[in-house]
Amino acid sequence: MPSTSPTAAKASAPRTSRGRQHDWPKHIILLGLIAIELFPLYMMFQVSFKDTSTFLQQPWLPLPISEWNWGNWAFGIKLIAPYLANTVFVATCTTFGTFFFALLGAYFFARAKLPGKEFLWVLFLILLIMPGVGTFVPVFMLLKSMHLLNTLSALILLGVAGGQVFNVFILRHFIEDLPKDLFEAAEMDGASHFQRMVNIVIPMAAPIIGTLSIFSFMGGWNDFMMPLIILRDQELFTLGVGLIYLEGEYVKPWGQIMATYFISSIPLIIILLFTMKFFVRSFSAGAVKG
Amino acid sequence: MSSSIVKKKILRDWPLYFFILPSLALIFVFQYYPVANGFYHSVFEWGGGEAKRFTGWENYRRAFSDVTFLNSFKVIGLLLVFNLIKMWPSIIMAVLIHRLKSDRWQYVYRVLLVVPMIVPGLVGLFIWKFLLDPNIGGLNALIEATGLKSVLVSLDNFFGWGVFFTDIPIAWLGQPDLILPTLFIWGFPWIGMFGVLIYLAGLQAIGTEVYEAADLDGIGPIQKFFYIELPLILTQIRLSLILMVMGTLGGFGFQLLMLNEGGGPGGRGMVPGLWIYNRSFVAGEFGYACALGIILGVIILGLTYINNRYIRVDK
Repeated sequence: MPSTSPTAAKASAPRTSRGRQHDWPKHIILLGLIAIELFPLYMMFQVSFKDTSTFLQQPWLPLPISEWNWGNWAFGIKLIAPYLANTVFVATCTTFGTFFFALLGAYFFARAKLPGKEFLWVLFLILLIMPGVGTFVPVFMLLKSMHLLNTLSALILLGVAGGQVFNVFILRHFIEDLPKDLFEAAEMDGASHFQRMVNIVIPMAAPIIGTLSIFSFMGGWNDFMMPLIILRDQELFTLGVGLIYLEGEYVKPWGQIMATYFISSIPLIIILLFTMKFFVRSFSAGAVKG
Repeated sequence: MSSSIVKKKILRDWPLYFFILPSLALIFVFQYYPVANGFYHSVFEWGGGEAKRFTGWENYRRAFSDVTFLNSFKVIGLLLVFNLIKMWPSIIMAVLIHRLKSDRWQYVYRVLLVVPMIVPGLVGLFIWKFLLDPNIGGLNALIEATGLKSVLVSLDNFFGWGVFFTDIPIAWLGQPDLILPTLFIWGFPWIGMFGVLIYLAGLQAIGTEVYEAADLDGIGPIQKFFYIELPLILTQIRLSLILMVMGTLGGFGFQLLMLNEGGGPGGRGMVPGLWIYNRSFVAGEFGYACALGIILGVIILGLTYINNRYIRVDK
C-alpha cells in the first residue's frame, strides 16, 4: 500500500503541472459537442410548455415560468400513460424472461460435460453472426398461426427469444471464469445444479447481469418495428407505436407533442438516476468486452 | 474400465439438458424456423393467405432485375460510407475526454454523456425531423441567420444543382436531390453515447507512463492519437464497425419513419430492408419479399464472414 501512493502522486504531479492551461481548448470542443447533444432535450422541455401561438411567435427561448402551460402535460400524461404502462410491462417481462432462460442455458454450456454440447453451441454461434433481417414476414406469419398477433405476449416472446444468443454467449464465458472450487464444494454438500445456480452463479454474476439487463431493457424500450407490425388495438400500443401515430397527425400541436415526448422519457430518467453510477462504471469495468 | 465410470458420472448429469431446452426451443421457433420458412415461401407466388403457386426460382430471377432493389444497394453503399465517417467524432470525443488532466472533469463528461440517453431513440429521431422542418425547423433558421443560405444559393447557381432557392425554405426531406445529403447531416455531430463510453473504457487501459515516454520522445498530440490511442482501442472500434455494418445493411426503421414506405420523394432513400417491408405490407407480395429477405440475409452473412475472417475481434 505505501509503495503505490508515492508512485501515484509522482504520476499525477507531472500531469497536472504539465500545463492546465492546455486543457481549455478541449473543454471548449467537448462542451460544444455536449451542448449540441443536449439541444433536443432543451427544445423538448421548453416547447412542452407552449401552446401553438406562443410557440410560433418564439420557438427558441423558454417562456417565463408564470406563463407555462401545464395543459400540454395533462394532455401528454393522459395520452401516453397507457402506452408507457404497456412498455414497462413488456420491457420488464422481456428482461426477466431473457435472463431466466439465458442463465439456465449459459450454465449448461459452462458446467455440463454432456454429449452433444459442442453441437448445440455451434447452433448458438451460427445465430450470433446470422442476421435476423428480412425474416419479419415469416415471423409475422408464425405469430398469426399461433394466434398471437395483436398481443403483448408476442412482443415478450420475441424479445426473450431474440435475447438468448447474445446473453448466453456472454454469460457462458463469465460462468466458466468463476472459481471451480465453489462448484465442487457445493457438489460435495449435495447441492443440485439449480441450487448451485441460485446460490453461486446469480450472486457472483449480479453486476454483469445488471449491465446486460440495462441493455435488454433499453432495447425493449426503444423497439418500435415489431410493435408496429404486430399491434393493431390502440389500448395495446407500446410507446414506439403510440409516438409514431402521434407524429403522423397532420396538424401538429408541437407543445402537446413535446410534452408527450418528455413524459415518455421520465421512466428512463428514473432508472438512470438509480443506476447512473453503476451505469457509468459498468462501461469501464470491461463488461462490454465480452 | 475407468473411462466408462467417467462416462457414467457424466451421464448422471442428464437433467442438465433441461437447462438448455427452453433457450433451444426459443431460438428454433423464432430464429431458425423463420429462416427455413422464408426460404420455403421464397419459391412461391404467395399473398400471405392459404393460396400459393409454386414458381421455382422466378422470385429470385425477378429480384436480380428489380431496379428498385438493385438501386437500394447503391443507397446502402453510400450510407455505409456516411456511417464510416460518422464513427470518427465519437472516437475523437473519447480521446479528448481521456486526455483531460482532471479526473473529476472526466467523470463529469461521462455523466453528461449518459444524460441524452434518457431520450427514447424514437423521440430523438422525431425531434430531428422537427429540426429539419422547412418552415419551423431549427436548421433552416440557423442557415438563414448565419447567412449560409446565400452561400448555398450562389453555390447552387454556380453548379446548377437546382436545389437551393433564395425565397423558398429548404425542404430537407421533401427534395429528392436533398434526401441523401440530409441522411448525412442527420444526427450531427454524430456522437454515439454508447460508442464514446466503450472507447473510454478501452483508453483507460493506457498507463500514464506511455504518455510520459511519448512526451520524452517529443511526440505531438496528433501522432499520439495515431500511435498510442488508436491502436489501443482498435478492438472496440472493430466491434462497433461490425455492429454498424450489420445495422446499416439490415436496418430500415429509420428510413421508414424519416421518409415513408416508399423511401421518400423519388424513392431516393430506399434501402433493401425497406423494400422488403414495402413488398410485403404495402404490395402484399409475401413470396417475393421472402426471396428478397433470403438474398439480403446471404449478403450480410457473407460480409460478416469476411469481417470475422479478415478483421478479427480479439476477445
